[in-house]
Parts: sequence; structure tokens; C-alpha cells
Amino acid sequence: MTILTDLKNILGEEKVFNDDENIEKYSSDQSFVQPRKPDLIAFAENVKDVQEVVKYANKTNTPVVPFSSGLNFHGGTIPKEGGIVLDLSRMKSIQVDDNNWHCVIEPGVTVSQLQDELEKHNLRAMLSFGVHPDRSALTSYAERDPAVAAASFEYGNELIMDTELVLPGGDLYRTGLWSAGGIPGSPMGPVRAMIYRMWTGAQGTLGIFTKMNIKVEYLPKKRKVFLLQFDSFPEAMEPLRMIQRKEIGHECFLINNFNAASLLCKKWKVPEQFPAEKAEAGEFDALREKLPPWLLVLCSNGGPRMPEGKIKYEEEALQEIFSMAHLRTCDDGPIEDMFLKEMLRPWGILKKFCYSGSVHDISFKTTLKRVPEFQKIVMEVINEHNYPLRDIGMYILPIERGRAVHCEIDFHCNPRSKDEVEQVKNLWHVVSERFIDEGAFFDRPYGIWADMVFARAGTYTQKLKELKRELDPNNILNPGHLCF
Amino acid sequence: MSTKKQKVIQKKLPREVYSALKNVAGEQWIYEQRSVVETYSKLSIEGGSFVKKHEKDPHVLPACVVLPASTNEVQAIVKICNRYHVPFVPFTNGQVFCNPTTQDPTLIIHFSRMNKIIRIDTQNMCATLEPYVDYGMLQAEAMKRGLWNGGTPLATTLCKLASQFAFAGLWQTDLKYGLFSRNIVSVKMVLPDGEILTTGSRCIPKAGDFFEYGPGPDLMGLQRAGVGTNGIVTEITVKLHSWVGDESIPDISAGRPSLVDVHDPKYDNPDKPLKNHKLFWCEFDDFETQIKAMREIAHSGIAIGLNATGVYSAFYCSQTQAMTIKRCEEKFFPEWNCYVILANVTSDKQIEYEEGVLRQIIDEVGGRFLSESYKPEVLEALKPWNYDCIRHSTGYRMNRKFYANAWLPVGPIDSAVTTQREWKKALDTFGELDITDRGGAEDTPFIYALQRGHFCLFETDNYPDPTLPDEIKKAQGFGIYGAAAVVKNSLGPMLMAFLNVEPFTTMFPEAGPDSHLFMRKIRKVFDPNSVAAPGRQVFTEQEWQQFPEAVKNIVNKMREMNDMPAVE
Repeated sequence: MTILTDLKNILGEEKVFNDDENIEKYSSDQSFVQPRKPDLIAFAENVKDVQEVVKYANKTNTPVVPFSSGLNFHGGTIPKEGGIVLDLSRMKSIQVDDNNWHCVIEPGVTVSQLQDELEKHNLRAMLSFGVHPDRSALTSYAERDPAVAAASFEYGNELIMDTELVLPGGDLYRTGLWSAGGIPGSPMGPVRAMIYRMWTGAQGTLGIFTKMNIKVEYLPKKRKVFLLQFDSFPEAMEPLRMIQRKEIGHECFLINNFNAASLLCKKWKVPEQFPAEKAEAGEFDALREKLPPWLLVLCSNGGPRMPEGKIKYEEEALQEIFSMAHLRTCDDGPIEDMFLKEMLRPWGILKKFCYSGSVHDISFKTTLKRVPEFQKIVMEVINEHNYPLRDIGMYILPIERGRAVHCEIDFHCNPRSKDEVEQVKNLWHVVSERFIDEGAFFDRPYGIWADMVFARAGTYTQKLKELKRELDPNNILNPGHLCF
Repeated sequence: MSTKKQKVIQKKLPREVYSALKNVAGEQWIYEQRSVVETYSKLSIEGGSFVKKHEKDPHVLPACVVLPASTNEVQAIVKICNRYHVPFVPFTNGQVFCNPTTQDPTLIIHFSRMNKIIRIDTQNMCATLEPYVDYGMLQAEAMKRGLWNGGTPLATTLCKLASQFAFAGLWQTDLKYGLFSRNIVSVKMVLPDGEILTTGSRCIPKAGDFFEYGPGPDLMGLQRAGVGTNGIVTEITVKLHSWVGDESIPDISAGRPSLVDVHDPKYDNPDKPLKNHKLFWCEFDDFETQIKAMREIAHSGIAIGLNATGVYSAFYCSQTQAMTIKRCEEKFFPEWNCYVILANVTSDKQIEYEEGVLRQIIDEVGGRFLSESYKPEVLEALKPWNYDCIRHSTGYRMNRKFYANAWLPVGPIDSAVTTQREWKKALDTFGELDITDRGGAEDTPFIYALQRGHFCLFETDNYPDPTLPDEIKKAQGFGIYGAAAVVKNSLGPMLMAFLNVEPFTTMFPEAGPDSHLFMRKIRKVFDPNSVAAPGRQVFTEQEWQQFPEAVKNIVNKMREMNDMPAVE
């Protein structure tokens, strides 16, 4: 008997594949993580399938790599030790709870499907800027992709309610209200209040989520976008702090002219595959020249009732800051409209892949005050590596009214040019290392970042390893990732 | 009640252990005198401790109390406990669990010397605290800087934020700010094996203390609500938010005790809420309308707090217990109600806008505002909430009897109806201990709308006489019955939404399912020598086998009453 035969017996012929085309497809992504082929691909259609595969894997010591959409961009689903790629994309159920503003999703539900479904109920999901429309919504939440409304303490954070998962031994486990076997409807429990968080940011190494109940919010009837322009990031820091301290708006972020031009470029489309095809850049170049170096984007959402009233008092509070800090607005109707669309369907920024074909980001958390330090490091390293400053994309997202900021710094290269790839890979590696040395916090340490981060995390790393040994003694769930 | 007269003999630690501890903390900070350890045996509001005390159970007394002054000292003490296999119990104010959890001589580690605010970071809106810092201390400093932590539990000056990491953390302003769980940036813990764990961005050198998750799987999430079984928080960093109220809130020194005959109205009745805040009381004809209104308000995006209070208003706003009972009998306070706290966080015009939305909702659902023209005497009586909706400046003031057994289930707001139904069923089955027990059966349970109403927490309680152990035992019966009712009726995976304790973890394997097996693995990783309040949150297989059959039978009886099979 082979694994292939065994799994076909367990799941059915139509759910297991090991043909070259499929094996190739699941062996790599656009990241710098070394490609590795799985032994086979198994499709789960329900939680029982997942349990059966995990139990079988334990019996045979076969690695299992959970896979939902593969649009992680950081090598999270590359089977480092081969084994079974367990594709969950056929699990596509969505159940909306209109009364309590929750929604239960399975791993195969994409973010665009989720948003489409919620819109029918006058609701919205809080999504991450730059998330691919075909990315698994569940994975996006599980991997703590920061919502574009992360500045809002209440609406943009802690979006997971109840969860259902398969533990490394194959047992079913639920968290939240759901864990007693009834309805979902609270994130607390069982036994400890926030236990579900242990499985977030875990890249499927400690369990496989099969369902998740997420918070959803009202679909605003009225919204207004405000744009502020700055010549440099430090100029924007104090206005940003003032705006956030006043708790104005839900969505708020800063992008540089590279990213703004990508968003506005009408000739470019959001790619479906990665790496993408390099596209003609004439329109993009013109936009990049025309746009201010930095844009602060703020969106005020009218409430479900009397929406104008809320926007009005927020706008007045904002105007006070504008006049106090002598700020320059960027009044441009089409740009404002484009950003309004992006708040709900925030994937237009992925058009940036059209510039060179692949994008290698460095995403981390720090404090607002320290962002210029990391900018300085980037400047130093790109000078050493002859990488043009103008080809860097930057996105800065305040979290919880500016307590923290999420930073994404992009480097672009043509995947067909070995020299370019090598240059950017070296650059990306050096910048990552310098950042971590200087205290950039990689809360989601993918790929090579994992070794750099966990080597510095002392007891935290030690306890994670002990937990992994206790929960997954055969080390079958996504081995080789994180510190496992 | 046991009538057997017996002398309670205090157990002592082996001399070498005592000596080792003394060397760490210093002779003046370690106590085994009977007069001192007695203090640590009865402060709890957990009924079981009182019953043990009444029954002269010798295991109620700790062997020794030590007061460390730093993380290093805590670490050294915990390592000694591991070396000599001495169980320890962390202790701050003793309001919940403080007694020894095993029959072995037990060490209490009391943190009253670790009472400093280490730093307030105004730029990144967070504060780092030692374990004995309470809400009052933190707010006094933060509010001067235009910041606050987002909420206050009932006992402002008693509750320490670090101990709430191990236990609850429920505020009246949870609608906007969420439970305490949503407001922790990081913890520094001495783990049960003596290792020091820091979480979030703080665990990476040079990163700073500002971000709560990771790296990778989130251990802070795992550690929260461990009731002292998974380590000792020696530093906690909490989030701060913009504060627009007065720079300080009047405090009554030492609060006011819950005595039967205290009547001192000078401490009550602030005329209006704090600066930039407004409090509205709404009354409804029935429970259904109340819930409809609360759902609409929560979803409208207004307000920083939205709650409903039944019996709490009676004993909270009355100056004597007699007054509490009279008001309960007369149904003085609205049975179906909610109160809404508005604040001008963004603009001076925010309250005006939010009041407009609130009035629209109340008008739509058919509710009424308490006002100078409608039930002014009730509004007058509710004045203590004017400050206390933000912070309980009057301290731990409850004109009721002892507080033993609380049902704290959680879920969508409709679950309030199930909570009420099941509480009423319990009252019908077991009988009430006091008229105040009817709160939640004949009027609304206390309802906290959490995180913009995505879920709610419901509270109903028993108030037995602490001098009567049979009453306390009866209240415990409500608790055990409640654990079964909660699991059976989808009111939560556990009786207290924040956490679980034994024997409920093992005896309700429906939760998870089999959370007890999962938690045993976690316990093994963090407490390999079983020294941190052993058996409090989850039993080992051996502890479970040794657990008294009589108690197992009682729990199984309550399971049976809820049509659930017995657990062997």
C-alpha cells in the first residue's frame, strides 16, 4: 500500500492527486522560500476528511501541510519536508448571522466571496489592505493580516469569534461559545478566555482551522475620504498622532507615491497568478511623478443611523487639526472615489505586481516614532545594493489609534531576470536582518524571518517548542515552519 | 453544618524550605505566624473557602506567606518551590481564590510590595505595572495625562490589573473598550517552572513594548485566565485610550464597607456625570423590548457603555441592606431597562449626535427615558452611577449579603432570555436565599453589551448569609447546577465566561470537547512539577482519581437534572 492508495481509500479517488502538474503547482510560491515538492495533494471537503487525513498522517509519520488558497506570498504553505498538502479550498460554506453580526466561514471562502455575500445583508467584513480577492478569508484572519481599519480599536481588531479546528492528533476542538457544541457567538473559552489566539499566526503548525466565526460590521451608507499630502513621512507623524488621538475615522493609513500610483494606474489589473507578468509602465510612471511623496488616507464612516451627523462632527474635528497643523489636503474626486472602493475591496494595491512581476515585502510592527529609523536603514542598504529608492513601495498602517504601526516595505524584481532576483534577494535578506537587529517586530515570522526572530525570543521560543512537542509529538503539522 | 469541634492545626513548611525562602525575601517579609496566615484563609468571595472555614477544615490555612519585592525574588521563590515540591498560590487581594489547593503545606506569595507603576508611555498609549497596582492608582496617573485604561471593575481600589489577567476583567464600558482581554499589551511572567516569559513585541530585544501578538502563535492568549496555575504576572503592560473627562475622580479613602447598618449618604449622589460624559437611563415595558433596544443601540455605533441592571441597582444605590430589600419588594427600580454612557471623545458635538441616535431608537422601540418629568425619584436614586458608570469611586459598596456563586454566561444578546429562564428554573428548584436572588428572574439579568454588541455577558448571583454555611452550600448548589445549565443551553462553554476551575473542567467534557485533556497537556508544559495552585484549573488523571466521590456525585446529579449523562 502507498500513501496515495491509502488516502484514495480514505477520501475517495476524486480527492487525491499526485500528477506532475499538481505537484509542481503546490511546491512553490513567489517568495524566496526554497521550493519543495509534496508527495501528493489531498482535497478535504469537510471536517471529517481533515480529521481522517491527520489521523492517517500520525500513523505513518507523514507531514501534512494545510493549504487554502496559497496566496500567502511568504512560503507559508511550501511543504518543507514533503508529505501531504491538504487543500481545503473545497470547503466553501458561508453562514451569515444578521442579528448578531457574525459570519461562519470555511477555509475555501475567498475574501471577495465573503464581501459579496455580506453586502447582500448590508454588512461588511473588515479586510486587510493588499489581500488578494482569492485569498482564503479564514486564513487571512488566522494569520492576523491587519485590517485596513486597524486604526479603529473597536472595528478593526480582534475579529475572530469562535473557531473549529482539528488538533495535531486528529481530534476536533472548538473554541468560544461554540465549544460546548451549540451555537457560536463569543470568543471566550473553553477554560481560558482567549485560548483561540494560540492558533493564530501559527501557519497551521498547531492545528487546522476548519471553520471560523468572525465579526462583521454594518455596511456604511455614507462615507467620506480625506486625503492629506506630505513631502516626507516624518512630516506626517504629528498630524497622524493628532488624528488618532481624537479617534477620527475608521480606516487610516499612509502610502508613498509608488503604491499610490499602482493603485491609480488604470491600465494595470490585479494579477491572478504570482509571480505576475510585467506590464507596460508608462501611465504608472506619469502618476508616480505627479503624486505627492506621501498620502495620508482617512475614511470617515457614517453610522447606520443619521450617517451625515457622524461624518459632520468627525469632519469638523478634522478641520480643526488641519488648520492647527497647516496641512495640505489633496482634493481630487477620482482619487477619493478610488479609495472609497478600496476600503471595502482593498486589493487594488496588488496591481503593484505589474511593475516588475514579483514583489518582496518586509512587513513588521513598530512604533510610529521609530519608523524613520527603519527608513534610514532601508536607505543605507539600498545604496549599498544599488537599488533605486523610487522603486520602493511603502504602506504604514496605524494600529489601535497609533499604539503600534504595521509597516510594509516592498522591493520589486523581474522573476525572469536571475540577476535582478539575486540582487533583490540579497537586499531583502540584509534589510530583514538589520531590521530585526534594530528591534523591528516580526509578529508573523515567515520563511527566513523565523530563525532570525525565534533565536531572539528566549523562553517564548522554548515554550512554543515544548507545546508543539506535547500537542504534535510526531511533528506532522507543517513541519519546518516557525521554530518547529 | 459540621458540629464537630476540632482544633485547626496549621501545617508548616520543612525548615530548610523556610530558611531558603527567608534568604530570598528577608526575614521581615516571610510569615508563618498563625495570626498572619489566618488572614490569607478567608478573604475570598469563593463560597467554598467560607464553608471550609466554618467546618474547621485544617487545609484552609496556608503554611507560610512570603512577600517578594521583585521579579527576581519571585523567580527565586518559585524555583525553591520546584526544588522542594512545595505548592504555591499567588495572591493579590484574595477576592476570588486564595486558599491552598492541596492538602500539602502551601506557600502564599503575596505581591503587596510590588505596587509601582513602572512607566506610562503617553506616546504609545500604554502603561506598565507591577502586580499590586490597582485601577484607582493607574487612573489617577493616567487621567492627568489625558489617558485612561478604558474601564473599571466594581472594586476599583481592590482590583489589581495583573490579577485580572489571571481572572476576570469586566467593565461597564466594555461596549467600546472590550473586556480586559482586549486591553493587554504584554505580560512578564514567572512561569511555574521558574522561567521568565515575556510576550508580544517585548520578547524581542530592542523592539519595545507596544504590540500584543506573537511572535507566531500567541502565548499571551493562551496564558490569560489561568487563575494562577500557569505563572505569576510580575509586570503587565496595559493599553491606554484617550480620556476626555475630569483629570481626577473623587475617591473615598478606603472605600466603604458592606455593613448592614452603615448609612452615610454624603458619599453618594454626584449631581451629574464626569466632564464630557452623559448617562441615560431607559425603561421598557418588557424584556423583549429591552433586548431589541439594546441590540439596536449596540449596532448603531454610539456610546462607550451599554448595560442593563436589575437587582444591582437595588443594592448598589441603597444606603442600607434594609433599603435594598424594601426597594426589591416594591420593585422600585425599572425591571426592564438599560443605561447608556456617551462621551465626547472625538468632538464636543459627539454626545449631541449620539443622543439624537439614542432618542430615535428608544422612540422606535417604545421605551422611555427616566427624566426630571418621568420617575424623577428613581433617577435621583440612581445618581451613584453618575460617576460609577466610569469608575466605582465609592469603592466596594454593595448593600447585600455575601456574594457566593455567580452565573456569568456569555453569548449573543438573545441568550439573555435563556439565562433568565434557566435562572428562574434554578430558583424554582432550589428556592431563594434572599429576595435579591430574584434579580435576573423577575427582572433583567445584569447584561453587559461587549465589543459593539457582538456578544454579551449576563450575570445572576446568589447572596447567602456568610455566617450560615448551609446557605453558602445552597449557593454552591446553584453554581454546580448552573455549570450544567450553561453547557446544556448554549450559554457558554463554562459557568464563568472568563475561565474554568475544577471540578467543572473535567466534569464537563462537552466543552471543547474534552478540554480537560487538552488543558492537561498545557499544564504539563508549563508546570511540570505541579506546584502552581495544583488542581485548581485542571486535574491530572491522578488528581481526578483522588477527587472525592461525594462531590462527583453532586455534580453528576446536577448534570442529570439537565439531561446530561454522568461523568465517571
